[in-house]
Amino acid sequence: MSFLGPILNTLGALFLTHAVYSAHEHTTAFSSSPLPTDITLELLFSIVLLSTGIVISAQPLRPIETAKWAGQLSREGRKPDGQYTREGEAVLSEGDPYAFLGLDGGLGKGEGRKGFWDARGKRKEYEEWVRGKGE
Amino acid sequence: MSQANLLSPPTQINPPTALALSQKAPLILSHSPTSSLPWPLSLLFSRETPESWTIHENLFYSALRTGDETSARAILERLKARFGEQNERIITLVGVFNEATAKSNAELEKVFEEYEQILREDPTNMSVRKRRVAVLKSLGRTQDAITALTVLLQNSPTDVEAWAEASELYATQGAWGQAIYCAEEVLLMMPNAWSAHAHIATLHYLSTVSNNPPSLSSLALALKHFCRVVELNDSYLRGYYGLKLLTTKLIPLLSDAPQSSNKRGGNAQDDDDVPIPKLATVEKLEELATNKLGEIVRNASARKWMGYDEAEVIAARELLDRGGRIER
Repeated sequence: MSFLGPILNTLGALFLTHAVYSAHEHTTAFSSSPLPTDITLELLFSIVLLSTGIVISAQPLRPIETAKWAGQLSREGRKPDGQYTREGEAVLSEGDPYAFLGLDGGLGKGEGRKGFWDARGKRKEYEEWVRGKGE
Repeated sequence: MSQANLLSPPTQINPPTALALSQKAPLILSHSPTSSLPWPLSLLFSRETPESWTIHENLFYSALRTGDETSARAILERLKARFGEQNERIITLVGVFNEATAKSNAELEKVFEEYEQILREDPTNMSVRKRRVAVLKSLGRTQDAITALTVLLQNSPTDVEAWAEASELYATQGAWGQAIYCAEEVLLMMPNAWSAHAHIATLHYLSTVSNNPPSLSSLALALKHFCRVVELNDSYLRGYYGLKLLTTKLIPLLSDAPQSSNKRGGNAQDDDDVPIPKLATVEKLEELATNKLGEIVRNASARKWMGYDEAEVIAARELLDRGGRIER
């Protein structure tokens, strides 16, 4: 399905260009006579193709209900959305907007809040892990 | 699953992830985001984006955690050169660096004195106030940390992060009433935060679980908050876990209790009028939580749903196994 959108868009753009070109040629050649119906029809057809193509190739819609949207975030986690920063880090999809509260991991666990980051405690935890691995 | 991503680091960083994060330091330090050209040209040829500085900050934190002080210092110098030493955030980062490299409690006290000095010059620097609380906590002076935090909250009562911290600090002291009050303040400002609802429900549950028999109104309140969690997020593992745990506790209590107290809003209840749920309602909730937990555990084990923490899934499976009816 992912290729259908671009195909429709390309076809639509071709028809649109052709219709506009024909209309321009017609008005320069016979400026007094009305525009032939086939040019009008081609123009309308190209617009229908383009609109369908744009709608089809759009991103999937996000759930409207909070519960469904939040549930989707919980189920899928954060995934790379295909873009990268200059440093080579993947840009991730939307995550839990309340993660900064640090209430996710239960009492006394988890990363905690950034403003109150426990520098020494985290360092000690890491040192213990390294020592445990060396033994 | 926790990925080592510096732009948006995972909410739970375990040591292996921290190591993976800080190993990106040489790559990032090898290219400076700012341009070395003179002024008007530097504007044209700069490679910096807002994301570069987020990445630098997160790298700074993970370098400190893994003891990579050389990288941390290099990043700090880069940030200083870009934003100036008087920037509030840079002052805080310098403080964090000093805290992490402090070898003993005496050195940490010195960092604390520096914070006092900074606050005497500029009492409005909120992030340094928060660091002060963190240092007190790290020194083991939890009571002083709570006092400092209450002063901070008096000056800035809309700081949700600080209310959440206060709630956890009170909870570590076993002061459940105050902890619940602080958690309710968080909910006032972020009524849709499912994690905050789960937190307050946990507090209600913990406040009464050691009593015998546990207070029915506290359990009912916890149940209510867990129901709200599930209402706000239809796949939050912690919400369903709590719901399951509470309903298994409540069902024997409610079936033992005399019929009169099962009525909603019974007038013989405690001073706070918490309606005690009906037995049938609780049983239905139990069924719902069991089904949903089973679904989450199955899909997470089959690696279909990747958003869950492994430890949490294991805990949920154990809870279900204890209940004795799960079809896997």
